[in-house]
Amino acid sequence: MADACGDSCPLMACKTGNRAVVVRVGCEGAEACRLRALGLYEGARVSVVDSRNGLLLQVRGVRLAIGAAMAASITVIPLAQ
Amino acid sequence: MIGAAQDAARGTESAPAAHVPGAPLRVALVGNPNTGKSTLFNVLTGMRQRVGNFAGVTVERVESSYRDESGHLVTVLDLPGTYSLDPHTPDEAIALDVLAGRAGIPIPDVLVVVADALHLERNLYLVSQLMELGLPTVIALNQVDAATKRGVQVDVVELIHELGVTVVPTVATKGEGIDRLRHAIAKAGELPRPMRRFDVPAVVTSALAPVEQALRDDGVPAHSAGLEALLHLTAPATDHGPAVHTAIGAARSQLMDAGLNPESIEAELRYGWISGVVTRVVNDPTARESTTSDRVDRVLLHKVWGMVIFLALMGIVFQAVFSWATPLQDAIEGSLGWVGGQVGSVLPEGDLRSLIVDGIIAGVGGVLVFLPQIAILFLFIGILEDSGYMARAAFLMDRYMRKVGLHGRSFIPLVSGYACAVPAIMATRTIERPRDRLATIMIVPLMSCSARLPIYTLLIGAFVPALHFAGVIDLQGLVLLGMYLLGTIAAFLVAFVFRRTLLRGQTQPLILELPPYRIPTVKGLAATVFHRSGLFVRRAGTVILALSIVLWALATYPRFDVPAGTSDEAAQELQLANSFLGQAGHAIEPVMRPLGFDWKIGVSIVSSFAAREVFVSSMGTIYGVGGSEEGTGLPAKLRAERDPVTGAPVYTAATAIGLMVFYVFALMCMSTVAITVREAGGGAVGWRWAGIQFGYMFVLAYAAAWLVRVSAGTFGWGA
Repeated sequence: MADACGDSCPLMACKTGNRAVVVRVGCEGAEACRLRALGLYEGARVSVVDSRNGLLLQVRGVRLAIGAAMAASITVIPLAQ
Repeated sequence: MIGAAQDAARGTESAPAAHVPGAPLRVALVGNPNTGKSTLFNVLTGMRQRVGNFAGVTVERVESSYRDESGHLVTVLDLPGTYSLDPHTPDEAIALDVLAGRAGIPIPDVLVVVADALHLERNLYLVSQLMELGLPTVIALNQVDAATKRGVQVDVVELIHELGVTVVPTVATKGEGIDRLRHAIAKAGELPRPMRRFDVPAVVTSALAPVEQALRDDGVPAHSAGLEALLHLTAPATDHGPAVHTAIGAARSQLMDAGLNPESIEAELRYGWISGVVTRVVNDPTARESTTSDRVDRVLLHKVWGMVIFLALMGIVFQAVFSWATPLQDAIEGSLGWVGGQVGSVLPEGDLRSLIVDGIIAGVGGVLVFLPQIAILFLFIGILEDSGYMARAAFLMDRYMRKVGLHGRSFIPLVSGYACAVPAIMATRTIERPRDRLATIMIVPLMSCSARLPIYTLLIGAFVPALHFAGVIDLQGLVLLGMYLLGTIAAFLVAFVFRRTLLRGQTQPLILELPPYRIPTVKGLAATVFHRSGLFVRRAGTVILALSIVLWALATYPRFDVPAGTSDEAAQELQLANSFLGQAGHAIEPVMRPLGFDWKIGVSIVSSFAAREVFVSSMGTIYGVGGSEEGTGLPAKLRAERDPVTGAPVYTAATAIGLMVFYVFALMCMSTVAITVREAGGGAVGWRWAGIQFGYMFVLAYAAAWLVRVSAGTFGWGA
């Protein structure tokens, strides 16, 4: 199930428990800067803690909640479990 | 010159700031949100903080001071919590401006960076940016107790080694490590300056050198030019000259040609270095385990149960603000009445006594009565905030609020608005983006506050029959609920309109750190409650005092010679009818007529600008019932009132409903106007927004009340 979304996919498509590598942060300037400062930059690893509403991520030891629209603008490559 | 630029590109340029002996030592406190920075600030300096705004922006500027062990004065500036020095958001831009000496205040002598021991990796990002400024720096490694409890060990000696700056472990909530922190602050200037600790690839250095030079030529100080050049790679600066823009454009294409992504290069470099530091410094056996917070979140962020719990919590808060505040409010009212009585008995009869008792004590008292609600509301907001639940609430509500252009964080202020718009507007400060915040401020007063309740109660009690349906539902309750719903629905519609007109623009996308759950401390909560209540008393109090005096004068002058033999009540009514306020009531009668309101209602509406519930006491005065025993005789008198010309009843159910609907919308509250002026930016900008708010609400009120009357007439209902 880990590669259900193929090679690269929007972060939004990842399910609870998935881990992934960020390949593109495609949102607007200021938000992209904020995400990168929080550790969500191209090349960074994230794990999806909860994907029930919006996304709850584990990034650099911190729980980060991001809205659905934002999660759709981030492209990732899912990692095998 | 070139040599200096290269030095700065490597982050090795020393800052100019050298503390002048004898002058106070200026410290700036910086750190990520959720690190306990404000608590540390309070513990470090005591609670004698001065609060203002930075020039030209609505970012709060909090300052305080203490005397260190050798008696030197140390002033501390608490900068807004920030994740980086990214110049794109107001809070973070102000931090960078202060540190680069652009905020109209001198560059700080010492930087104290608060870092959360539990989330050191993320916190080191900001630390690494700050170190490049080359200012004397001390790191307060805070919340070490929470880290230890989780089994996370931070090797402080190794961390000092890696960073090259002093690191002091602290537990701000318990006051631990504060003396050592003060000592380190005093000594920081004598130690070697911090600098960039990682290597930047040659291609990046050479691409950045011209940007840095352009920034210096544009007036950016040498110590921050290297860092700012790197920051501007992610997105072009808006406040620099064309030469800087050209240089940034050239640097970006140079980096892209080299196969690098200019937007992510800073994050990659910093986090690359940080990963190494963290592996050597932090021992975290729990890194992959799910924590207690995660388990709690599985329930609290559940689609159904999360919402149920959230709504239940809001219900409790709402209830508490209403019911807990009542006895305190009664006590305040009682003691103010007593003070008024005492002063009244000491002063001789005359204008001075009237000014002090009826004007100042009654006017300011009418506002002080809200203090318990404000304190209780902020106590709850403090608990929700400090426990870490507030971030979850914003996350849960974000989807729904976004539909009308509001942010998840708008929800709490809106619910608070049911109690009182004043603290609710103050609570909008947690909303980051100014447009999102303004949109929320604009609609908060549409939530029916507790001051409208006396009006609703009076009019419903007098004119809505107590009919019961199906045993449980009664008409009076339904009408009351209707008033609350009307305001709430209107609030969302108005927000929708504002986001498409005056406050056009995208709502800030949701990016929230969910901090681990914590037990709030009494000290921290007390600080929040005192701080916010104090703001209310000081700021709103001054404006309200002035307005109270004006309203009193309008109701008192010109003096009317009451014919001998009239009763006190009749004399009071005659005086009011002939005062400027009464004349104003007569003057606006033609405007009020279409709504079915006579001059007496007009006067009461005008005077209720002091506070809405004044409407009830004004009606009491006019109808000669006496404000103190409100309610008993008033409904009967209102029902008996006849039009002097036609003989038809003045008050029909339609008039009453129209009047209530008017109060659902009208911004009859000078405290709200005062607080909007302040929170919307102060000065001319603040007054402009307050004017827009008052204006649109009045138009809504008038139109809605007119609509009620017209439709009542058309359907022959309530006549």
